[in-house]
This record gives sequence, C-alpha cells and structure tokens, in this order.
Amino acid sequence: MSWSTRQSESRLIGQPVGRIDEKSWEALLANLTQAVADAAAVNRDFVLDLSAVDYMSSRGLRVLTLARREADKHQIKFTLARPNERMREILSISRYDKIFTVEDSLD
Amino acid sequence: MRVRFWGTRGSLPVSVNGSTIARKVAKALMQAGGRRFADEAEAQQFVETELDFATGRGYGGATSCVEIRDAETAFFICDMGSGLREFGLNAMARCAAGHPRRYNFFLSHMHWDHIMGFPFFVGNFDDKAVITIYSGHADAEVALRRQQEEISFPVPFDYLRARFEFVTMQPDTDYAIDGLTVSCIRQHHSHDSYGFRFSDGQSSVVYSTDSEHPAGDMASEHQFEHFFGGADLVICDTMYSLADSVTMKEDWGHSSNLVAVDLCRAARAKRLALFHHEPTYSDEDIQRMHGETIRYEELNREDHPQLEVICTYDGLEVAV
Repeated sequence: MSWSTRQSESRLIGQPVGRIDEKSWEALLANLTQAVADAAAVNRDFVLDLSAVDYMSSRGLRVLTLARREADKHQIKFTLARPNERMREILSISRYDKIFTVEDSLD
Repeated sequence: MRVRFWGTRGSLPVSVNGSTIARKVAKALMQAGGRRFADEAEAQQFVETELDFATGRGYGGATSCVEIRDAETAFFICDMGSGLREFGLNAMARCAAGHPRRYNFFLSHMHWDHIMGFPFFVGNFDDKAVITIYSGHADAEVALRRQQEEISFPVPFDYLRARFEFVTMQPDTDYAIDGLTVSCIRQHHSHDSYGFRFSDGQSSVVYSTDSEHPAGDMASEHQFEHFFGGADLVICDTMYSLADSVTMKEDWGHSSNLVAVDLCRAARAKRLALFHHEPTYSDEDIQRMHGETIRYEELNREDHPQLEVICTYDGLEVAV
C-alpha cells in the first residue's frame, strides 16, 4: 500500500493505493492517525479517497473506525469518498456504509 | 471426525412462530407456481431440492451445543446450550445400542445460553454415566451447581445420578482425552471464554465462540491465527456484522463474519463454519449473511486456496 495526502479548499484528502490487509493495516493506521492530526491542526475536515484501494480486509475496515475516533477527539469530520466497485461491495457487506458517510465524489 | 450441530443460535433460544411459518408457506406456494405433487414425498422433494434453505427449512433456534464424533470411545460435546436436550435424547439411544456412557464436555464459558441445557440433559440421571466437564474456568462447577439451586430449578445438583468430574484446563497445553488431543485458548469475552482445538492426529476442528476481536487490539489476533492454524474446520462466532461489532455492540464479546474469514484465511484453515447466530436474525437474514460471507471470501481470496464457508444450523452434520 502507498499513501499520499493533498489539500482541498476545506478538507485534507488522504489516498491509500493498493491492498489493505493483515500486512498493511498498521501502515494505514499510522498514516491515517497522522493525517487526521494534520487536518485538525489546520482546522480542516478529513476525507479518505477509496478510489484506488484494491481490497480492504476487516483489519483495514477497523482501522477506519479507529481513525474516526481520532477525528472525533479532534472534533473534525471523517468521511469516506469515491469507493470503487469492489470497495463499495465491501462497505456494504460489512455494513460500514451504514455507519460512515460515503460520498461519490471529492467535490 | 464428524461434527454434529445440536444448537447454533447465540444468546437466547428462538422458536419459529405462526407468522413466520405462514410466510414460509406462502413463499413456497409462490415458488411452486401452481405445480401439483403426486404425494407428500414428491412435495418434500420439492421443498428440499428446489426451495432456498430459508424458505424450505431454516437454521433452528437452540443455543450452542456441538458434538465432535470420532472413535466413539466417548462423547465429546462443546457447550451445554438448549441444544443439549436433543443431544441427550439421541445419546441415550446410542448408549442403548452400546456406546460407552462416557461424556466429555468442553465449556467455552458459563453464560446462561451455554449452560441452560444442562438441567434437561438426561445423561445426568444415568447412574452408569461418567461426565467430565472440561473448562478453562475454575468456577465451572459453581456455575452448574448454582443453576440447579431451588430458586432456579427444582432438582439440586446432588440429586443427579451420574458421576461428575471437573477439570480446569490450562491454555497452551495439550490434553490427551479418550483418543483426541485437546487444547484451549483464552478469548475476549465477559468473564473470559475459551476456544478449543480437537485433533485426532489426522484432522482437526476448532470451536471458537463468544470471542470478540476488538478493533483496539488487532495485533493480538496472531495468536488466534496460530490456534486455528491449518484446521480442517473452524467453528466461529459470527454473530454480528462488522459495523455492529465496532459500534453499538462493541465490547459485547462477539465477533463478525468478516473477521472470521480473515482469521481463517491467515491461518490457512480449510473450512469456516458460521455459528452463534444473532437471535434477532430471521432465516432470511442468516441466509443473506452466509451469501455475503462467501462473496467476501471471494473478494479476499487472491491466489490462495478457497476457504469454504458453511453456515451452521440445528441438525447439520459435517464430515471432517
């Protein structure tokens, strides 16, 4: 998995690329924790761009839960965006689409 | 080995009520599409082969009780949920046909749904029966005796006729028990629970129910991957969706279908049995969860061998 961040007008966008599973969940957690703190430091909300995620296991999904708890502590919004077809299916099977705000675009 | 599921529901026994039966019959009639059947046997054939499982049959509602059958030197039973009553009646018939009256029980923990079948277990009243109760908990005997006290049940423990023995197991230790090697692992659950691994030297079965794998402690899941390692069948607590397990039902001591798939995949287990079904789930809900779990395994698979995902129901028997 690779990771990058960029800023939009109102939000910090994080983008993981590749497979998030038992081998890469800790890297995602570290990157997300840092990115959420960075977003809070500049008074922005955070959005996670899922368009380039090949696969996300239950550990990756639970990392999203931990990251949102960090965002809650910082009192910023944590949103998921642009899930590809596979990620959309995983969010549905896990029912994570019921507990996270999922946006179709980054606009 | 063979594994027989006598009770597969979590937390509370459930029964099929009239409105549920009416809905099943209506769906079956719709799917029959006006067909006529020569006799009841032909209609039964239609039900068993052409209707989906949730319509034609159902998953049952007895709480946790699973029998591991091997060389028939003794009975091996995981947990004493309400499914134990039916096991007991079946075992009596087998004993009458010559099966040894030796029962080895393995208690995951002593919450009510896992011991409520004990007062109704007919083997308790057989003065030739020898009943050994294995548990990771030192207070298993206290729990069973307390359940028999007059305020809860009219027959005190000391009135039971079988010969009882209680054994407290230690994790990371192999126990040779009537031809099987058994070990246990401590699990995250209120007052702890224990998973068990049974091996006959050729194949192995893991029973891991009432086991939460918390989001805040994912690093510790390696010990479960090790415990499940290469098992032919892993029976897993899959009570909640992953979303429920990390939100309103967090710290309720249960796991999800997705975590079970990932643990079994990492452990290179061959088959996963979905178990300890949420009591509020209808048969349709459980069937949907089974289908979604199979799909998740496909998405997860990459170039690994397929992990077969089966969904347990009361009465299911699996050859291992």
